[in-house]
Amino acid sequence: MKSDNKADMKKLALFAFLVLFLAIPQVVHNTYMLKVIINVMLYSIIALSVNLIVGFCGLLDFGRSAFAGLGTYFLAITLTRYGNFPFFLAFFGAGLFSASVGWLLGMLCQKTAFDYLTLITLGVNEIVRVILLNWQSATGGAIGIMGVPSPNLFGFHFDTHRRFFYFAYALLAICYILIRRLTRSHYGRAFEAIRDDAIAASYSAINVPKYKALCFSFASFFTGIAGAAMVSYTNYASPYNFTIDESLIMMQMAILGGLGSLPGCILGAAILIIAPEISRTIYDYRLLVMGILMVILMVFAPNGILGKNGVGERMVDIVRIRRAEK
Amino acid sequence: MLVQILINGLSVGSVYALIAIGYNLVYGILEQLNFAHGDVYTVGCFVTFSSLMIGWNPLICIALGMATGFAINLGVERFAYRPLRTKGANRIAPTISAVGVAYIMRNVVQLVWGPQTFMFDLGLFQKNSLHVGNTIIGMLQIYIFIIAVSLMLLLNVILKKTKMGQAIIAISQSIPTAALMGVQVNRVIALVYGLGAALGVIGGLLFCSYYEFIFMGIGFMFGTMKAWQATIIGGIGSLKGQSSERLLWGLARPLFRPISLRPTRMR
Repeated sequence: MKSDNKADMKKLALFAFLVLFLAIPQVVHNTYMLKVIINVMLYSIIALSVNLIVGFCGLLDFGRSAFAGLGTYFLAITLTRYGNFPFFLAFFGAGLFSASVGWLLGMLCQKTAFDYLTLITLGVNEIVRVILLNWQSATGGAIGIMGVPSPNLFGFHFDTHRRFFYFAYALLAICYILIRRLTRSHYGRAFEAIRDDAIAASYSAINVPKYKALCFSFASFFTGIAGAAMVSYTNYASPYNFTIDESLIMMQMAILGGLGSLPGCILGAAILIIAPEISRTIYDYRLLVMGILMVILMVFAPNGILGKNGVGERMVDIVRIRRAEK
Repeated sequence: MLVQILINGLSVGSVYALIAIGYNLVYGILEQLNFAHGDVYTVGCFVTFSSLMIGWNPLICIALGMATGFAINLGVERFAYRPLRTKGANRIAPTISAVGVAYIMRNVVQLVWGPQTFMFDLGLFQKNSLHVGNTIIGMLQIYIFIIAVSLMLLLNVILKKTKMGQAIIAISQSIPTAALMGVQVNRVIALVYGLGAALGVIGGLLFCSYYEFIFMGIGFMFGTMKAWQATIIGGIGSLKGQSSERLLWGLARPLFRPISLRPTRMR
């Protein structure tokens, strides 16, 4: 009974925290702060999708930002070129478009594994970047696409920072719940089986290539949606946002937070977005701060902060030992 | 025209091969993506550059740069990679700490030498060129090719014939078994890291003297990424495959240059 009670308390605390978080735009009037928080939420979605591939399926993917770019440009092109295209459709279309490209990539990579797959994803990233940069008639080339409209759902415009906060909040919550459900379904179990041992998984009647392709397409769906949300927030699509450096940062978010841990992704995104913002005052030393932070975090929590044997678990252990001593 | 392109490709390719060999030593042994490789050897190259500016003998400057790269990688290995290895982390974790180290090194270069591009000249090679029919072969190209090939051969001999080389190969096959056979695993791995950086410095210096410039960004895009791609395509842990692929890639680059959409952007 006692443990039930504890779980209830935990849920209650989480619920209270989420409700309190809702009140942030009412309390915080600083646009800059709101922007940073919104960025953290949007990048959290991408980090979650990276975690699906790297943490659950065990494939190293260096090309995530390409899929964010696909989602971004799908939304930007449909909304700016075709006058009355409904936002809802464009938004989901961005996810589905990115997912279909992800599925294609997964199909291509059926037989590749290990770092060879990583190299392919890197190549895809570069291909997408160069296409976005050079296909001027569609993507506007280096100028990008300006004037992408803000989210507009059922007649409600999310056009201010405060309104967009709620949009991003709802999106993150929905994506988090969906990904959580996914990882606990038989799909998620299959992904984990592939991560732990592909050969053993194939002997347990798991169609490894099919599930790899599925994993890529599921993850790309969420990445595309996050990319679409980003462009509808900044109202400007630029091809320079989708480089390999960006992909690396996206991957670092998932790894720093803890592979296989969903809350860890949000924490990782928060760290990697907020750290450069804080160190803006010492601009010249910004990379130094980031680098030292990354090395220290990795050395003390090799599996991520909230991952296995991470800082989170260690703190729980310390509390347990203290209690046992009492 | 084609012969000219092939010759240019061969010399560029051998520069990249040198950079990639240092990368491949580590990668072949530990299967760890060393994203700090490029930025570590950049520091070494800049040390050489500074000492050249003072007016020391180029050979001493090169040795100084190599020593710097060696020492930096020993320290980095001790504080950023070894703790992870002994804790038994997955192979992705060192990647992130390597990216952290790369950031630190890039920032150090930026703070000490600044972000601007400098002219670079080792002053070791003649600037004249040979004319064979229609093709022009720069002396520098010949030197680069000779240096790269001889260093590769030297490394091969070291790996095959010396005790240290055999220890490296043993570790690449199995770390616990190598430790049981009396190989001092930590020391050898640290040495491999150092050696990789030292070779990278030579590759970086040849790169800089070929293009006659040096700036803080030569590490990541021109070093780490290309070395990694070369290593994967050429075969992880295989010196021969890797250097032949690198040469191939060097050949492919100028061949495709005329049909690429726009000149590659320097990053």
